[in-house]
Amino acid sequence: MTDRDTILKTTDLTKRFGALTANDEISLAVERGEIRGIIGPNGSGKTTFFNTVTGFYEPDGGTVHFDGEEVTGWEPHRLARRGLGRTFQIVSPFKNMTVRQNMLAVQTDDGRSREEKRDRVGEILEFLEIDHIADNEARGMSGGQQKLLELGRVLMLDPDVVMLDEPAAGVNPALESRIMDHIHELNDDGTTFVVIEHDMHVMKTLADTVSVFDSGRHIAQGDFEEVSQDEAVREAYLGGTTAEDDEVPV
Amino acid sequence: MVDIGLFTQIVINGLLLGGIYVTIGVGFSLAFGVLEVVDFAVGEYVMVGAFMGAVLAPLFGAEGVFVIPIVLVVFFAVGALIQPLIHHVTTGDRPHPLLMGLVFTFGLATFLRGGVLTIFGPNSQDVPSSLLTGGIAVPGLGTFPVVRTVTAVFGVSGLVVFMYYLYRTRGGMAIRAIAEDRTNARLMGININRYQSIAYGAYAALTGSAGVFIGMTFNASPGMGLQYTAFAFFMVVLAGMGYLPGVIIAGVVLGLTQSFTAVYISGNAVLLVLFAIIYVVLLVSPAGILGKGEWAT
Repeated sequence: MTDRDTILKTTDLTKRFGALTANDEISLAVERGEIRGIIGPNGSGKTTFFNTVTGFYEPDGGTVHFDGEEVTGWEPHRLARRGLGRTFQIVSPFKNMTVRQNMLAVQTDDGRSREEKRDRVGEILEFLEIDHIADNEARGMSGGQQKLLELGRVLMLDPDVVMLDEPAAGVNPALESRIMDHIHELNDDGTTFVVIEHDMHVMKTLADTVSVFDSGRHIAQGDFEEVSQDEAVREAYLGGTTAEDDEVPV
Repeated sequence: MVDIGLFTQIVINGLLLGGIYVTIGVGFSLAFGVLEVVDFAVGEYVMVGAFMGAVLAPLFGAEGVFVIPIVLVVFFAVGALIQPLIHHVTTGDRPHPLLMGLVFTFGLATFLRGGVLTIFGPNSQDVPSSLLTGGIAVPGLGTFPVVRTVTAVFGVSGLVVFMYYLYRTRGGMAIRAIAEDRTNARLMGININRYQSIAYGAYAALTGSAGVFIGMTFNASPGMGLQYTAFAFFMVVLAGMGYLPGVIIAGVVLGLTQSFTAVYISGNAVLLVLFAIIYVVLLVSPAGILGKGEWAT
């Protein structure tokens, strides 16, 4: 992979909280147009990595490059406007606003007129199949609809890269399947995804490449089958015991 | 036997007072939502605004009402400059951010009160309002005191402009988004530092200007601030923490309660009655009288 193909790259990215090193010199490169999965046991530093890359935490060392530009330490809103979108594990729509207003609250530098922005909102809501509740207050939405709204708000940024933190957590199988279909469709249109997910079935079907974190370190990378056979990965997940199952727990 | 004429007059006075209180309450509620800080300095902004009216108006040989543009600009600028300091003490790695904000604004309030006491002494001062004396008699209703009517008109006008900005503009939508969830607002491309400065500046400007009008209605006194801080708390709790439309009702309730208590019980009992109402509301409906607040639950 050349640098020209790399859209998001971290080099020796480090984040400490007191004596705890939550991210320990993580170097990772995401290719333009891929779906990169990030897995690891609880506390392995996945969400900290997201927070440091997207500007919510100031790194203690290392760099972040996005689309050929160093963006280390940029404010989250600036990265969002630059085209790096993300979601959190726990969805949190603006509950006193309608679904449409939630989408219109997004600010970009694309120079769209008010009408163009409203049209774009309509397109995205239709794509996500929640256009029928566009004028409902977000406080009345189901958890699954809130997940879709969260994705919709990110899409309003017209992002080049979307970082999703457990998109399938807490949703029913039908909605999970819908969310995965949306991710695939968007990916086919050129959007790059970086996805944290604990559900290995989801990861297996979704990710082109999987990065494995353990104790704040990036210990392995490859396609799902490769990493599930990796000794270090099995050690991280199974604590060094010999498993009859030859994959990471699914 | 209730004197209907007196009753109607009390209602008029209460509604007119409510008009200006709403302005203070909406700004205070918004500052609470956007900066996640309980601003103890709110009453002192009212006090300093009143003193600016008392000092600047005679300086220019003008009525208090004519110094409002200066007060608006000065308070907006000062508010926009103070906001980054509040943001600094309530974010980052500091523990207990709410308490830090409380201590910071309490210190600011003490500084403002002490500063005015040091410069002007403990005596109250009048804000010139000779053009606004007398009242307009409306047959069948009562008399509308001119100074209170102009004050209420300013309060309602300020509120309308402020609400228009909040609910009809891109910046206002950003401020409402920050007030609901500033972490998510940052993900939506919203520059929270910029909008927090605008929101706090606008709140300070409205509150300081309300102070000039309150100074014209009553007077300017270094000790007046605490009462208005209590009023602001009353309004946001009654409205439901963070629920802006409720503040409008709460401001009117405040004005009426003050007027009725002053006439039928005693002027000194106003705060007592207000806090009795707050206790009952918190016990019965912690999310405010309309049940739509969030942060008191």
